[in-house]
Amino acid sequence: MKLIATIAWRNILRHKGKSLVIGIILFTGAFLMTLGNGVISGMARGIEKNIIEGFMGDIALISTAQKSDNILLNLMGASIEPINTYKKIKPVLAAQPFIKSFLPVGKNLSMVLDERSDTPGFAYLIGVDFAEYRKMFPDNFTVIEGSYPAPGERALLFPDFARGEFYRYYNVWFVPEGGGAVKANLSKEALADADHLILSSSAVLLGMSSGINTTNDIRFPVRGVIKYRALNQIFGHFCLVDIEAYRDCLGYFTAADMAAQVPKEEKKLLGLEGGDLDSMFGEEAMVVADYKKAPKKIAAEKAVPSDTEDGTYNVVFIRLVPGAGYDAALEKLNRDLAAAGTGVKAVPWNKASGPIGGMAVIIKGALFVFVMLLFSVAIIIIVNTLSMAAMERASEIGMMRAIGAHKTFIAGMFLGETAILSAAFGGGGIIAGVIAVRVIPLLRITTANDMLQILYGGNYFNPLLSVTGILLTVLQLALVTVIAAVYPMRVATGITPLDAISRD
Amino acid sequence: MDIINIKELKKDYPLGDTIVPALRGVDLTVAQGDFMSIIGPSGSGKTTLLNIIGCIDPATSGSVQVGGREITDLTDRQITEIRLNKIGFIFQTFNLIPVLDVLENIEFPLLLMKRSPAEARKRAEQLVEEVGLKDYAVHRPSELSGGQRQRVAIARALVTKPDIVLADEPTANLDSVTGASILELMKKMNELENTTFIFSTHDANVLKYACRIVKIKDGLIEKEPVAA
Ligand SMILES: Nc1ncnc2c1ncn2[C@@H]1O[C@H](COP(=O)(O)OP(=O)(O)O)[C@@H](O)[C@H]1O
Ligand SMILES: [Mg+2]
Repeated sequence: MKLIATIAWRNILRHKGKSLVIGIILFTGAFLMTLGNGVISGMARGIEKNIIEGFMGDIALISTAQKSDNILLNLMGASIEPINTYKKIKPVLAAQPFIKSFLPVGKNLSMVLDERSDTPGFAYLIGVDFAEYRKMFPDNFTVIEGSYPAPGERALLFPDFARGEFYRYYNVWFVPEGGGAVKANLSKEALADADHLILSSSAVLLGMSSGINTTNDIRFPVRGVIKYRALNQIFGHFCLVDIEAYRDCLGYFTAADMAAQVPKEEKKLLGLEGGDLDSMFGEEAMVVADYKKAPKKIAAEKAVPSDTEDGTYNVVFIRLVPGAGYDAALEKLNRDLAAAGTGVKAVPWNKASGPIGGMAVIIKGALFVFVMLLFSVAIIIIVNTLSMAAMERASEIGMMRAIGAHKTFIAGMFLGETAILSAAFGGGGIIAGVIAVRVIPLLRITTANDMLQILYGGNYFNPLLSVTGILLTVLQLALVTVIAAVYPMRVATGITPLDAISRD
Repeated sequence: MDIINIKELKKDYPLGDTIVPALRGVDLTVAQGDFMSIIGPSGSGKTTLLNIIGCIDPATSGSVQVGGREITDLTDRQITEIRLNKIGFIFQTFNLIPVLDVLENIEFPLLLMKRSPAEARKRAEQLVEEVGLKDYAVHRPSELSGGQRQRVAIARALVTKPDIVLADEPTANLDSVTGASILELMKKMNELENTTFIFSTHDANVLKYACRIVKIKDGLIEKEPVAA
């Protein structure tokens, strides 16, 4: 062993140029591999934090009538079908040991109507029980102005990003009730116009839902302005509203309606297959926007229902307990939900988040392909260089074989050379990569691009390397070393003693 | 006792569509402790014969026994073991491992045999002295003259105390004075270590040293006039 190592080491020094070429390739490869792994892990964590932990959980339940699984951003698609069976769904979910928590929400698009503008804006609404929402997603946003609504309070939380967009297009700056414009929070455009800002502390929202005859325009008081922890350009479109007001707005049955015994025929309207959304945008539909006369105010005195869960929802978000088998959980859920006749199906988060989930998969795939490409190039160059080295040393190797060195000795010599180079340069590359992964988050490299934010794993570039990740890279490097050494080793062990003998 | 026993040895080399018969039925026995020279014109089959005895080229037919063991029909592992344990080689060129110094080159076969490093070093030091290169013990081959390299090769060939040392024109690349000194050294070591030497040469000096001369021509051994 020592003999092989000595010879291998001295051969490295003897062929400094070649060693350096291989070394640099190994260094670069290991460095990029480490960095790539870091970015992938950071991204995985970022997705987990941003989408799963912060927005929609691991699994979403949607109506079986729902055509598209994508429920995150579906401006032009069909609206999300109502779910009226939450009372049946809840016990099924509660019985699953792999479910950590779940939250039923209303989720659909609404028009934002404003007296000062003829064209309506749009906002995505999430209708929630504010207290329950906080429990499910504890820190996915901060209230930067105003306050978090009290339990049962009927109000609107307006996202900072959507506020900026609204200002850009409609010149209205939303502020919480009783509050003024906070200079530090003004968007660039609003700041330029700070002295003449038109402030508004309520918004008239008109629910958009296919399959329901009448949606209502409802004036919501803005209780607070929120900023999502990450991916503001995506999540920043979503306003949080009280579930009962949401149901009102969408023309769904509220829990209060249910308590007041809704006539049977009317009930049938709910849960109908989605009509086409185009009708919403048709001439007639637009006439609906006669909100100026009398937008329906949420009656403060309206009876608080005993159980909000009686009403209509669109989606149920589910968090799994850590380490739960994902596919098995999904399958079991779907089986149990079908058996219980709930009329809903469980879809994985990456399908439910539509293009974002898909994008994450694509980025992951691209990085994988990149690493594989890197591997192949590195292996090809190393194989070439080492095979040439083997051939150049044919006489020397043949002589060693003649005086009694076994094939294994020759193979060991080559593997040893590659292993030393790989350990030194590749190891160096991994260390450099780890340092880079550690240093990059400190630089707080930010991006406004939402897709990059997913890659970044948050609001700033935040690659992440676990010990397992590093070990994985070491393993990959070892694999590259062995693969790269196999062919040259075969060339070298194929050299016979006769090759050492020069005949004339 | 015969250390080598060759019967009806034939060796053909394919050359395109034809076959070159390099050895055409060689019978030869070599006694333990011989200092034997094979002479013959270029292309007569000297190298081929030595290579077959040295287990680095397989015979086409016939029988070759080295130290009483038939060497045709052995696996690569077995044949490598024989080369390591029973045979020492001195080649014309490319004798030494460039990255090892003189002592390391000499002890190399012992380390392949898994002898202890201390034992190997002791034996190598003894031999480096016997071949007169004590002062060059830590020099690399590239720092040595041709003659010095052959001295190292002789020491390395003898380090395992092999049954036979084979040398194919060991002096071919040396000037005549150096060549003579190498032959002299081989003879000395033959007496000192009682090792059988078989070597081919063109060197006229050989007659002075060899105790037995075998002439080969067109792949056949000419009748030996007298056994020495
Ligand atoms: N690898 C080979 N392929 C074809 N012919 C060969 C080969 N090696 C040797 N020969 C032929 O075999 C004969 C004997 O060669 P060799 O043993 O090298 O002779 P010597 O060493 O006496 O000069 C020559 O005719 C030579 O051309
Ligand atoms: Mg020859």
